[in-house]
Amino acid sequence: MLELFSFGETGWGDQILLGAGMTVIVAILSFLSGVVIGMAGAGAKLSHSAVLRGSADVYTTIVRGVPELLVIYLLFFGMPGAIQAVAGVFGYTGSVQVQPFTVGVLAVGIISGAYSTEVLRGAIQTIPAGQIEAARAVGMHRWLIFRRIMLPQIMRYALPGLGNVWQLTLKDTALISVTGLAELMRQSSVAARSTREPFSFYLVAALLFLVMTTFSTVAFQKAEEYYGRGARRG
Amino acid sequence: MNKWVSTIAGAALALSVTAAGAQDDVIRIGTEGAYPPWNYTEANGELAGFEIDLANAMCEKMGATCEFVAQDWDGIIPALMNGRYDAIMAGMSITEERRQRINFSQGYVTDPAYFLSEKSSPLQDAETLEELKAAIDGKVVGVQTATIHANFVEQELADTVELRLYDTQENMELDLTSGRIDAALADFAAWKAFMEKDDGSGFDVFGPRLTGAEYPVFGEGVGVGLRKEDTELLERINIALDELKEDGTVTMLSNQYFGYDITMF
Repeated sequence: MLELFSFGETGWGDQILLGAGMTVIVAILSFLSGVVIGMAGAGAKLSHSAVLRGSADVYTTIVRGVPELLVIYLLFFGMPGAIQAVAGVFGYTGSVQVQPFTVGVLAVGIISGAYSTEVLRGAIQTIPAGQIEAARAVGMHRWLIFRRIMLPQIMRYALPGLGNVWQLTLKDTALISVTGLAELMRQSSVAARSTREPFSFYLVAALLFLVMTTFSTVAFQKAEEYYGRGARRG
Repeated sequence: MNKWVSTIAGAALALSVTAAGAQDDVIRIGTEGAYPPWNYTEANGELAGFEIDLANAMCEKMGATCEFVAQDWDGIIPALMNGRYDAIMAGMSITEERRQRINFSQGYVTDPAYFLSEKSSPLQDAETLEELKAAIDGKVVGVQTATIHANFVEQELADTVELRLYDTQENMELDLTSGRIDAALADFAAWKAFMEKDDGSGFDVFGPRLTGAEYPVFGEGVGVGLRKEDTELLERINIALDELKEDGTVTMLSNQYFGYDITMF
């Protein structure tokens, strides 16, 4: 049993651990792009422009309303065709490849971004308008208001929600195994089927996911404490 | 480790999009890498199996180099169309349905399909398809989804059995061992591997030997899948396969991996 998970030529240990590493990398990149998308999305939802509000609404409605796996399929199978069509306009007729890694990060990032948008919008809306007015009254610029007044409070209110989004994002990376990217889920499934030992490999994969989520829960708790240090508790 | 680092670096540096230039001396083969003994992954991460050896022998005959790309079964045809690789060798049976989208080489092997049940099951007595149809009435039967076996059961037994669809052979075997299904249909190679395991030792195949000869739904054997426009590559592969069948390479590999000869002559 143990030699199945040993390292080197005869065991799957290294394949599985490298898969876990890939999962963490994809999850972090997806989550960060999701937060960036979420910032832009939240800004758009709260803007005065009806077009921006509308497009942000369409984005969150579609992405949150469609199964994650479908978003990944659409991007993985649709993107090469779309890029090829655009390239064709510019006279390039060769075949175009999209790396599974990029599609994976993009797809999970887009999904994660839709949830982050709502979390951040909620956090921004908790800031009383009076604070912004007061900041303007003392002559603060927009950027300074954002940095000194809004951001610290957004962090405090958004972190619990973002912690949830992170957990979802981490687990969503398992779905991109369909693209053949060698992340934890794909490696476990290949190992399980090649060795015909599904239970051991899926159990180990589950434990590794648990380790990742447990560590990140602790990290988010620390972050929440840090950003909540100015607020009264209880 | 180096391979992994370079994969990530490559993926990041390639700016997500790379143009796939058509190089004549490298043929990229898409395979599932999780379907022993056809194609599977070794503990060191390398692909191995009947089709990997056959592809290498094929490329050698063509004076080319084979490169393998692992791809999940669900996306194996779309990824060929998208140009992730030039040919599919993944135990893929030639069917009319698939022909509408891709071209196939001549069949290199054909594996008969069999039903399988527990040795103690009364189903074991059925020999012809008629006997089997009578015996299996009302039973729960498993097949892997989107396979010729699923097509066959839907076509021949849809009214008589309760059908269970599985995403992988492995999951179907798990349900066989736990008794959730009474019988299942798959190719003999898959059953042979299953019966050699502890879990599968209590099972045996039964009923008729199902092949494309008597039941067209089983198709023309397993072939190399290619894009329709790549007619030149198709011809080269067919010539190489002719030679490999003639000089006994396919038989040798078939015996090595399946324990019997399934060459399609």
